[in-house]
Amino acid sequence: MNNAHKPSAAANFAQGLCPPPRGLTLELHATPEEVMRAVDALRVFGQGRHVAERMLFGLALALEECASNIVNHALQRDARQTFRVTLEHTGSAMVIELRDRGPEFDPTQAPAMAKEANDDDRPPGGRGIELVRCYTDEMQYRREGGENVLRLTRRLAAPTGPK
Amino acid sequence: MPLEIQIQQNIGDRKTGAVTVKLAGSLDTATAPELERRLLPVLAGPVKDLVFDLAQLKFISSAGLRVLTVARKQLKERGGQPAFVNPQPQIKEVFDIMQSLPGVPIFQDLAELDAYLAARQRSHEKTA
Repeated sequence: MNNAHKPSAAANFAQGLCPPPRGLTLELHATPEEVMRAVDALRVFGQGRHVAERMLFGLALALEECASNIVNHALQRDARQTFRVTLEHTGSAMVIELRDRGPEFDPTQAPAMAKEANDDDRPPGGRGIELVRCYTDEMQYRREGGENVLRLTRRLAAPTGPK
Repeated sequence: MPLEIQIQQNIGDRKTGAVTVKLAGSLDTATAPELERRLLPVLAGPVKDLVFDLAQLKFISSAGLRVLTVARKQLKERGGQPAFVNPQPQIKEVFDIMQSLPGVPIFQDLAELDAYLAARQRSHEKTA
């Protein structure tokens, strides 16, 4: 059968002929503007799949924090370097996967923020991880083929606010 | 989503000496440096009360919170402090989670803020 003129899944989605594609992968440069490009893409991706706005807010925040860590620390804001973000809607959860080739770093092992710490003396690093923990159900890390792979999962049936 | 910043002194009938910073949009890793830059001349002056109007702020991350925390620290060193008014629920939630700004007042409307600023002004006049 000749498929030369068969419409793509994306074209069918655009015409409302089939469900939206399950995943989306972005290749991003190590700049803050690219981090926010990923966040904007997440919002559009989630809205297209009817994910609640409050849940999208939390996911956007988690993505912003993790991607900023990659840009600022792993890749040292070197705009020639790139990292990847994959967004996935599994039907029961939203999953965000981040991959970078920076030094090995496992954010899941970052210590919890000390509640009694004097805010003026508290280092800015570590705050973001606390937000990621609050707005996701699972945060999994592995080192694979020289890459840091961080996978954030938020179950869609979960309450929409922080846990 | 960009960030719009409006800095105004003595809005409307208020003669409290406070400076109001209206933020609209997203205070994030890409926009936080711009707020930091715009606050520099404000914090270089004698201001003690800095009011952040957050009614139109839709998103904030730890990069944005860091700028607010630095401003708080600088104001505190001169006996001043920031205040926040009209935060949207998701923004207030982030403040609560981070406990970033302990002791900093957050007001749900301008009437509450006016009463607070008037009291602060009287206090400043007594100590002047």
